[in-house]
Amino acid sequence: MDSAILTQKQDLESPRMLNGEFIFTGGGGDRRYAFSRQTSFRQSIEPHTPNDYSKPFLSRSASSIDIPPATVYSQDAAENLWREEAGFLAQEKGPVNKFSILLVVSSVFRILKSGNRLTKRLLMLIFLNVAYSTVELLIGLLSGHIGLVSDAFHLTFGCGILTFSLFAIVTSQKKPDRSYTYGYKRLEVLAAFTNALFLLFMCFSLAVEALHAFIQDESEHKHYLIVSAVTNLLVNIVGVWFFRNYTRINLVYRNAEDMNYHSVCLHVLADSIRSAGLILASWLLSLGVRNAEALCLGLVSVTVFMLVLPLFKATGGTLLQMAPSGIPSSALNKCYRQVISRDDVSEVSLPRFWELVPGYVVGSLTLQVKEGMDDRPVLQYVQGMYQDLGVQELTVQTDYTVNSHSLH
Amino acid sequence: MEVHSNEGGHMIEVCGDVTPSVSVSKFCGEVKCGFSDSKDNSKDEQERVSSMRKLCIAVVLCVIFMGVEVVGGIKANSLAILTDAAHLLSDVAAFAISLFSLWASGWEANSRQSYGFFRIEILGALVSIQMIWLLAGILVYEAIMRLLHETGEVEGFLMFLVAAFGLVVNIIMAVLLGHDHGHSHGHGGHDHGHGHEHGHQHDHEHGHEHNHEHGHSHNHGHGHGEGDDVDHHEHEQPLIKTTTAKKKARNINVQGAYLHVLGDSIQSIGVMIGGGLIWWKPEWKIIDLICTLVFSVIVLGTTINMLRNILEVLMESTPREIDAGKLETGLCEMDEVVAVHELHIWAITVGKVLLACHVKIKSEANADMVLDKVIGYIRREYNISHVTIQIEREEK
Repeated sequence: MDSAILTQKQDLESPRMLNGEFIFTGGGGDRRYAFSRQTSFRQSIEPHTPNDYSKPFLSRSASSIDIPPATVYSQDAAENLWREEAGFLAQEKGPVNKFSILLVVSSVFRILKSGNRLTKRLLMLIFLNVAYSTVELLIGLLSGHIGLVSDAFHLTFGCGILTFSLFAIVTSQKKPDRSYTYGYKRLEVLAAFTNALFLLFMCFSLAVEALHAFIQDESEHKHYLIVSAVTNLLVNIVGVWFFRNYTRINLVYRNAEDMNYHSVCLHVLADSIRSAGLILASWLLSLGVRNAEALCLGLVSVTVFMLVLPLFKATGGTLLQMAPSGIPSSALNKCYRQVISRDDVSEVSLPRFWELVPGYVVGSLTLQVKEGMDDRPVLQYVQGMYQDLGVQELTVQTDYTVNSHSLH
Repeated sequence: MEVHSNEGGHMIEVCGDVTPSVSVSKFCGEVKCGFSDSKDNSKDEQERVSSMRKLCIAVVLCVIFMGVEVVGGIKANSLAILTDAAHLLSDVAAFAISLFSLWASGWEANSRQSYGFFRIEILGALVSIQMIWLLAGILVYEAIMRLLHETGEVEGFLMFLVAAFGLVVNIIMAVLLGHDHGHSHGHGGHDHGHGHEHGHQHDHEHGHEHNHEHGHSHNHGHGHGEGDDVDHHEHEQPLIKTTTAKKKARNINVQGAYLHVLGDSIQSIGVMIGGGLIWWKPEWKIIDLICTLVFSVIVLGTTINMLRNILEVLMESTPREIDAGKLETGLCEMDEVVAVHELHIWAITVGKVLLACHVKIKSEANADMVLDKVIGYIRREYNISHVTIQIEREEK
């Protein structure tokens, strides 16, 4: 790894990054760190200020706890395309509201043209699911098998969630604007959270179904569902194969997309486990095992719950603005002690750090500088130190007098 | 602005000159200080306690009614009543989430959660809205299943009774939850008013099929009713429009629960009418599906507003009531300020706003004084008190 001196406005691309490609960390290596294109973003400087502001004293050295350097959106051509198509959206106070069909179609084509490989896979997965559920719905309606229709509905609901994930990926590439000053990256975390929540609901409903089957003990109505369960399983196995790099349970999230892709992977994984459970249940039933359905469904429910919980906790933590998981609190404490041990600093208070998305940490700090000392070296020192630690954005307020101004 | 005394410090008087305060307690020596909004602490506390009390009572009532319905359903061996009890269970779950969020938002901030736990109520509201969406989807699905199944007999009278019972329960809880927020007189009349409107708009549309399998044509999906939108849209619209804590803003969790319950009562009225119609003319079955679809769409429509607010908070966007551009121009108009950049204004939860920015000043200016001015300006004009300003000097 090399160390690069960055200013906040240059878009240097780390040699480790490849555009739109998915990097495996060596054969047999640690696949826990699923890399993908680093699309963290930088701040847009407000249009009104002159562009000569830079912090030449900040350097980012490569350390083992370093977060990869923040760079500009690396697909600028795609950005311009998005901008042309939807320039008006940048001024809107909410991407959810005005989303026309034309935009949808054009963004689909844009993904096909220039998307990340994983994004394309997600699109394919959604199409596959939609096609499958439509076919199943038609067959169910025509032949009168209610189970097929209900299965088709379940699949459609899942498709809706996946589409939201896709929407999040596409929208999160928009540059920060006046009302979304941090950009749209959070949407991916939100999509992952929604996915995780939906999976938890599914767990709960499977548990209820297991209980229902246990009480009612009807074991004869599942036979015609075998074919549909098998095809469901196949479709979902394809999905799992697409996102195979995210099948680890305790994944380390390096950027926002990791969470999103992990949630998609869990979704298809949970679906396939459910189908497998149904197949297993009907096989056991044919063997004559009593309460097989309840057993299998219960097992599936517990498994999916265990799989989803880490993602749920991680996304929930990011949304709740918990202390960043990427930076250990001991490192932050060490920084704090280093700052306070300086001669010209008398107090440090209200240090707060939170993660916008995994990999992008924002913080704020208030210092009290001793009377008469110049604040500039302190400022640069503090900024540099936290930048090295991986805090991409830090606002430091320096107070001079003992009578403070801030009532935080 | 009122002056509260907090833990040992004085308040800055916001109108007029900005006098520095002697709040030594803010600069505690430990690493982390809590996100304590001293001005609003007591008011927040009061609001929290009263909201919690209301929700507690609502949960208890719900559980009691649910118990009654379960016992009655088992005795009468009617699936309709049992499924309605299951629906009340989902209500209880929603209330429980709100209650938990309310309770959790009072927890002390710690080193892992440096801003305190206020965000939990936003996440809780998100979860309960997702539940609403999920339930609406399930109800549509069930309606379609009922249509396809084509079995069972219609029991208009039972439907009517169960719906009436549900309506009474919901009205009680709506009054309970909504009652001290200044709209109460409006809401008292709300439900009756809606009854009439629904009567006019829907009496030919509400045929509900009722069969033993699913039993339940309550369509308790949280329909918030057209009347809501027509008449009192402006009451429901502002989720919390607070620039000052003084406004009687409804706590987001109580509001969620209240909307939940109000929608249920509307649905109950609709089902009562439908039940009466089925009792009278039992051949309109497809109306059930159409109604369910319509109501579900309405429900989703009314949740979209709240969802949008939640989304905006979670995406750390500038709150709607604050114009970031104007703030920036206002700051730049000050003499010593050269430029303002990296301005971020975001909300921890609805009503609690933070600001962070970098202000570049002329190299000869007195940074202390400029800091005072800037903070005072922001506090005065926009009422944001949690501010972090980084003063930078222009390089000459």
